[in-house]
Amino acid sequence: MFFHIVLERNMQLHPRYFGRNLRENLVSKLMKDVEGTCSGRHGFVVAVTGIENIGKGLIRDGTGFVTFPVKYQCVVFRPFKGEILEAVVTMVNKMGFFAEAGPVQIFVSNHLIPDDMEFQSGDMPNYTTSDGSVKIQKDSEVRLKIIGTRVDATEIFCIGTIKDDFLGVINDPATV
Amino acid sequence: MSEKGGKGASLSSKGGSLKGKDDSATKSVKGRKVQFSKEGAFESGISSSLTSLKSGGKGGKGDKVANGGKSSQSKDPHSSDRRIEQKLPENIKCLMDCEAADILQGIQEQMVMLSRDSTVKMPISFDKGLQYAKNNSKYRNPQSTRRVLEPLAKCGLTDSEICVIGNVCPETIDEVFALLPSLKERNVDRQVLKDSLSELAKLRQPM
Repeated sequence: MFFHIVLERNMQLHPRYFGRNLRENLVSKLMKDVEGTCSGRHGFVVAVTGIENIGKGLIRDGTGFVTFPVKYQCVVFRPFKGEILEAVVTMVNKMGFFAEAGPVQIFVSNHLIPDDMEFQSGDMPNYTTSDGSVKIQKDSEVRLKIIGTRVDATEIFCIGTIKDDFLGVINDPATV
Repeated sequence: MSEKGGKGASLSSKGGSLKGKDDSATKSVKGRKVQFSKEGAFESGISSSLTSLKSGGKGGKGDKVANGGKSSQSKDPHSSDRRIEQKLPENIKCLMDCEAADILQGIQEQMVMLSRDSTVKMPISFDKGLQYAKNNSKYRNPQSTRRVLEPLAKCGLTDSEICVIGNVCPETIDEVFALLPSLKERNVDRQVLKDSLSELAKLRQPM
């Protein structure tokens, strides 16, 4: 889910950036440092939307670098356990399928796929019900529930399920 | 809620404190086989969520989820959901996909103007986030959607639950209760919920 939050960061700036454009340099350095990163606490920082406050700079001992505490608003994407969201399937194999929701990868194991769906290998591997009415393949849209998350240095990875009520395929690309 | 430290975004304190770092510390403390973190959301207090999951309170929907070795995690969905919502600090605002799409679209348009600086490149997560928000944005007008969902806030639904309803756009009340089991325990006015759902359906963009 997307959130709009205020974060704070201490930015270090080299003296070459001081001068008339100090603020702009600080903001662009912030955006370069922070956008696209991911943390366990806040999830993916998708974009910085504004600067709330830049505090007074503190010159560090021994070097000419100055540290500025910057408060900024940003849009983050963080999945949490129990959340329902819609994702697009990217890969299907006999262990389950991978789906993507924004910058987050979600894996749905075959244990968490309804029992009446079987894996069919082939050019376009997929999970299909016994009567062929419902199919999960690449580019299918599925509604799933997140049941766990793991955070790496650069990305968040989730485990999901479609075995509950009202979960599963929304849109079959074969019929589109 | 602050993010201190010059480089590197996450609180990567190697001291193993439970605050903020979800994975390795909790893994060793609990000795769990599962890899996946306990959802402690934005604050410390992961220890409290761990102890409650350990005591194995059973959530209603926990039964239906297949337990392929990850059972203890799904056993208590209600209280962990509730805990997440309680722990969201006040300055966090949940965004529905349509609102996020608006904001990110605006930023992208600004980026086009700023692209004279060739070193400014939008990261992949921005493109993916924008595409996802646009694809999932079901409503033409986020403000009217918010207005329709306002009565639900008065009924006692949390911001994140309202956002989930907005994102998913359920058709019936049964669907709402199935997807958000924590609502069943609270006395939510079904009529208000029903009215909001029908209003939402009217606002929904034709696919």
